[in-house]
Amino acid sequence: MSEYWNDIVNLLSNERLWGLVRAVFMIVVGLATAKLASTAIKKIADKKIDTHRAMLLRRGSYYLILGLFLISALHQLGFNLSVLLGAAGIFSVALGFASQTSASNLISGLFLVAERPFTVGDVIRVGTTTGEVLSIDPLSVKLRTFDNLFVRIPNESLIKSEVTTLSRFPIRRVDVLVGVAYKEDLKKVRAILDEVADKNPLSLEEPKPRYMFQGFGDSSLNIQYSVWAKRENFLDLKNSIYEEIKIAFDEQGVEIPFPHLTLYTGSVTEPFPIKNIGDKQSGQT
Amino acid sequence: MTTEFDSLPHWWGSFTFSLEQNIQWRIGPLTLIVRYRDGEWHIGHHRTETFEDLDVTWEVQSTDQLPDTLDNNSRYIFSQTVKQMIVTPRLADRPIISRPRIPFNLTAGEEVTLYVSSLLWLELALGTSPSTKLEEVAIQRPSDTWFGPSTLEGELCYASATHCRINLAELPQRAHRAITPVRIRNQADTTLTIERLNLPAPLLSIYACADGQLWTPRVTLTRGKDGDMAELLVDNKAPEEAKSPELVSRPRTTANVGVLIRAFNAVFS
Repeated sequence: MSEYWNDIVNLLSNERLWGLVRAVFMIVVGLATAKLASTAIKKIADKKIDTHRAMLLRRGSYYLILGLFLISALHQLGFNLSVLLGAAGIFSVALGFASQTSASNLISGLFLVAERPFTVGDVIRVGTTTGEVLSIDPLSVKLRTFDNLFVRIPNESLIKSEVTTLSRFPIRRVDVLVGVAYKEDLKKVRAILDEVADKNPLSLEEPKPRYMFQGFGDSSLNIQYSVWAKRENFLDLKNSIYEEIKIAFDEQGVEIPFPHLTLYTGSVTEPFPIKNIGDKQSGQT
Repeated sequence: MTTEFDSLPHWWGSFTFSLEQNIQWRIGPLTLIVRYRDGEWHIGHHRTETFEDLDVTWEVQSTDQLPDTLDNNSRYIFSQTVKQMIVTPRLADRPIISRPRIPFNLTAGEEVTLYVSSLLWLELALGTSPSTKLEEVAIQRPSDTWFGPSTLEGELCYASATHCRINLAELPQRAHRAITPVRIRNQADTTLTIERLNLPAPLLSIYACADGQLWTPRVTLTRGKDGDMAELLVDNKAPEEAKSPELVSRPRTTANVGVLIRAFNAVFS
C-alpha cells in the first residue's frame, strides 16, 4: 500500500507531469479563447465590413490566439522555442522551394484581398467560367457556376488573367444585334426599335437606348441596338426584347433576312435549266 | 351581377368577403380577382398591354370568374383567418423620375410649382390586428430608369409615364394616380434648367379627397445659394389643392423626416 502511495507522491511531485497538465490546460483555454474571440469578431464585424473580410479577420484571430497558446504550451513542456523557431525557418525555406506553386497562390491571394476586384457573393467570369463566388481562400477562389458545378480557380491564375465582375454595377447594357433587308427604310426601323424599348418596362428610360449602324453585311443591314437594364433583369430583358422586336418587325412588314445564296454559272454558260415537276399541265422546262 | 359595390366612393378600403366569394377590381389596365375560401386567400391579376392612359374608369364587383383564370396567381393558407381584406393605395418603393414636356429654366430667385402624377400599387392586407400584408400589385408597371451623373453612380428609379405640369388643369385627374405638388425654389445666382425631377415617392403619404382623387403632401425642393446642394422638405399635411383630405396611406420610409439635404444632381438633372 505504502509503495503505491509513494509512487503517487513521486508522480505528483514530478515536474514533467505538471508541465504536461499545464500545457493541456493552456491548449484548452486557448481553444476556448480563440473560439470566443472569433464569435465576438463575427458579431461585430458582420455589420461593419463585407462577408469576406469578416471571415478573414475571424480566421486570422482564431489561429493567432490558438498559435500563441500552443507556443506557451510547448514552452511549458520544456521545448526550447528559439531552437524550434530556427528549425521552423530552415523548414520553411525548404518548404518554400518545394511548394513554389502554393506559395505563389498564397501571395496572389493576399494581393486579391488587398485589391478587392470582387467579394463573396459576386458573379465573376474567368476565361469561359462564369459563376458566383462562394469563398476567397488563401490558395484559391471557389465558384458555383450557374449549372451548379463547383469550380476551384487558383489565385495565381486570377491575378494573371482577365477577370470580369458581372455584379459590380447596378445596371447593365444589353446589345441587341439585328439585321434588316437592304430595301428597308432605316429611319422606320429605328423608330420601331425605339418604340419597342419604350414599351418594355424592363428597359431603362435613362440611359437612353443607343442605335448604332454596324455596316453593310453580306445579306443585311447590320444594326446594334443597345438598351440598359437593371442588373437582375438583364436576362429577362434580353429574352423579351428580341421577341418583341421580331413581333414588331413582322407587324410593320420589316424583313429580317437570312443569308441568300445566288448561283451564277458565268457569262459564257447557259442559265441553269429548271424543270417544274409539280406542274403537270405545262411540263415546260 | 350583384350591385353591392355600386355605391362605393372609391376602390380602396375594407372589404368583407363571404365564403367562396370572388371580388374583382378593374382599375385602368389592371384586373384583380380575390377569392376567399375557408382558410385560404387566392389572388390573381392581369394587366392589359394595350391601354390608353387617358380614360381610366374603375369598378369593384362580385364575379364568378376564378382568380386562376388570370395570368399571375398566388395563394395564402392560414390555420385561422378573417374575412376582411384591406385594400390600400401605395406609392412606389423607389423614387419617381418625371420630366416636363419641354425642359424649362428657372432664373435666380424664382420659384415654381409643378404637379407630378404618380402610378399606384394596391396593397392587399388581411384585416387582422395588426393587419397581415399579403402582397402589392401595381396598377400599371412603370418603366425602370436610372438617375445619376453616370452609369456607375446613381440610383434605380421608376420613370413617370406622364409629364409633370405647371398648370394643374392640364393634368387629368384619375383615380389610379396620386398627384404631388412640387415647389421648386432657385436661390442660387445662376439659372436652373429643369429637365428631369426626382420625386422621393417612398417618403410620401397619400390623402384621398371626397371626389376620389388621391394627393400626396407637397414637396419643396430648394436649390441652395452655393448651387451644389438641394434641400428637400416634405410637408406633413395634405396639400392645399386637396379638398377635405383624409389620410389613406402612410409613407414607406418614415426614418427621413424633416429637411433633407441632398447633392444637387441627386434631385435635378
